[in-house]
Amino acid sequence: MTIIYNGLSGALAAQAALDAVSQNVANAMTPGYTRQGVLLASLQPLRGGVMSAGVGVQVSSLLRFSDGYKSQQMWSAASELGRYSAPQTYLAQLEQIFGDDESGINSGLDAFFAALNAASVEPTSSPLRQQVITTADALAQRFNSASQVLQRQRASLGQQRSIIASQVNTLAAQIAALNQKIVESSNGGVNPSGLMDERDLKIDELAGLVSLQVTEQPDGSRSVSLRGGQPLVVGGRAGELTVQNNADGSQTIIVDFALESFNLVDGRIGGQLGGLNAFEADVLVPMMTSITEMAQQLADNVNNQLAAGFDMNGAAGQPLFDFTVSGATGVLAVRAGALPTELAFSSNPAEVGDSANLLALIELKSQPVTLTSLGSVSLSDAVTQLVARLGMDSQQNKAGLATAQAVRNQAEASWKSTSGVNMDEEAVNLMQYQQMYQANMRVVAVANELFDSTLAMLR
Amino acid sequence: MRIASTQYHATMNTALQKANERLSDILQKMASGEKFSLPSEDPVGAVRLSRLTREEAALVQYRENIATLKGRLSQNEAFLDGMISDMTSARDLLVWALDGSNTAADINAMASSIQPIIDSLFYAANSRDAEGRYLFSGTLSDTAALTYDPAAALGARYTYTGNAGRQLVAVAAGVQQAANVTVQEMAAMLNQLDQVRAVLSAPGVSANDPVVRAELQAALNVTDQTLNVTAGKIAGLGGAQNILSTLDANHQNISLSNRQAALVVGQLDYADAAVKLNGYTTSVQATQKAYAQVSKLSLFEAM
Repeated sequence: MTIIYNGLSGALAAQAALDAVSQNVANAMTPGYTRQGVLLASLQPLRGGVMSAGVGVQVSSLLRFSDGYKSQQMWSAASELGRYSAPQTYLAQLEQIFGDDESGINSGLDAFFAALNAASVEPTSSPLRQQVITTADALAQRFNSASQVLQRQRASLGQQRSIIASQVNTLAAQIAALNQKIVESSNGGVNPSGLMDERDLKIDELAGLVSLQVTEQPDGSRSVSLRGGQPLVVGGRAGELTVQNNADGSQTIIVDFALESFNLVDGRIGGQLGGLNAFEADVLVPMMTSITEMAQQLADNVNNQLAAGFDMNGAAGQPLFDFTVSGATGVLAVRAGALPTELAFSSNPAEVGDSANLLALIELKSQPVTLTSLGSVSLSDAVTQLVARLGMDSQQNKAGLATAQAVRNQAEASWKSTSGVNMDEEAVNLMQYQQMYQANMRVVAVANELFDSTLAMLR
Repeated sequence: MRIASTQYHATMNTALQKANERLSDILQKMASGEKFSLPSEDPVGAVRLSRLTREEAALVQYRENIATLKGRLSQNEAFLDGMISDMTSARDLLVWALDGSNTAADINAMASSIQPIIDSLFYAANSRDAEGRYLFSGTLSDTAALTYDPAAALGARYTYTGNAGRQLVAVAAGVQQAANVTVQEMAAMLNQLDQVRAVLSAPGVSANDPVVRAELQAALNVTDQTLNVTAGKIAGLGGAQNILSTLDANHQNISLSNRQAALVVGQLDYADAAVKLNGYTTSVQATQKAYAQVSKLSLFEAM
């Protein structure tokens, strides 16, 4: 007479299944929640006898619907997304500032050369000469503000890198702690599914910051290392990233794990951290170099040409621009105390009204400057080409970002298709297990009736 | 494929976000009238636009130079015109003096009329601009064009102290036009007039005296030569004005075509934008309706 026990085991199994369904429905909107289910198995008869069908059902295990490969895909998509999204705000800001023709270096150059041109109509005119100095000052200010924008970007990029490093450290410590809890709960016979969800969410967050290699351990924990192989989390232990500021304005990232420390080399970092590094190395620093080189060569060319001429007092020409590589106030300035009469427009000390040197100064506009990033380009076209390159870099990054976003969406959808909750499915399960429960209770009732009728016979 | 319920929401979110991005982009463009607001939207277009702006800035400056230069040339022409009328008066006096029927008193009176003409020519040749720079002394702008030395021998008291230097103005890429005129031939004429004035003011002078006639003839010759040279300079100035007008018209035409090109490269095609706006709006509405329909589908509703 195992009917009553069979019915009971069925009712208990249905309860466990309904329990899982209710947990799934409750967490349908919980980010990172992995749906669960029960694995039912029939119990074989304990004693011999061909007439025994079996001794009921048992929940042999709780199923966690997860696919490690899909999680890995999601994390690597997160790294790609981070790599392109981190520099995008910087690129957009640079484009906004350098793309504006009205306020940029280009229109400053236009105004400076226009003033020189205007002076050629009357090379001895004081107001026209003064205008040259005024526009030279405005031009210097434009170079300075461009260089300051770039320097500010580098400073805020450095801060962001330090913040990311501390986020990485926090997440690594949390993942290590969760790893430990997962191992402990598994050993203690407690379902660790919720802890695993939490840990995998942290790994996902971490993967957005820096590219990862994640390996599943037999004890249920996950080991996390950087793409270059440097360990970050092993079981319950976590490593630490530190950012060092170097004298030349660059930064070095160091991974410390236990007693060892590793230098993080560019190119294999990935995530937001790698994106920032690539932006700094490929866009920001070359741009800074170009602006500085341009300022220096403009100053040198103008000053050298002026030195070849003579001012209105017949004296050899004095420089107009002062250039400093990394001045606190900027890279370029008009020489303090420059006077209109001191502009050496004449090519002959005796002829104040001569404008041959002035015409040579005007020609400087189409003379080449040599920039590390562009090679030899004419002074008037250099900024246009720099902005074009910036535009192309930004365009490329935007395209990369769009692709990374699409890949990430796809990876999320794919992960959800395995682990996410489908309400209709849960509704079906709910009805099925409810029916199963009711049927099993009915079995118990029937067994009870059978027992009653047996008892009644004896009365 | 199995679809998680939250996938509908995620898809809807992504779709709406993309649509909003597009809508805000097209609205921004319609508001500004620009085809692209950042260089990354069209790097090549941005380069073309920037280069057109550079060329336009240079053209505007050349046209300003031409306008100022034309003013300066007209001013020069006015001064030279004044000198020509002075020289013509001097010539008239010389021709009159050559008439043998003049009495000595008549000739003396003529001599006294020559002095103001010499002074006027000397003054005109030493004209200065607002800042006190000499207009006709070449590139020696701080030096007077003509210098008068009363201590020197008669006939050598006037010297040209300027030079033949030209002040060149950039009026187009690689094209320069002189803004100044020099008057080095004026000194020889003034010396000759000064000499003839001295001869004619002698008491009892006679136009029939061969020495006097020779002086008069020489003065007449040098005056005629100077008149011709000056008239030639005026003609040259007129020619320069014409060249400048042609250049200006060229600049204007290029500027116009540059601006048209800039419009083609940089300005938003409103018809196209309006069509896109419509398309985006329709797609958002359709997505919203589809979502409303799909999200109604739940087995729990049927239970």
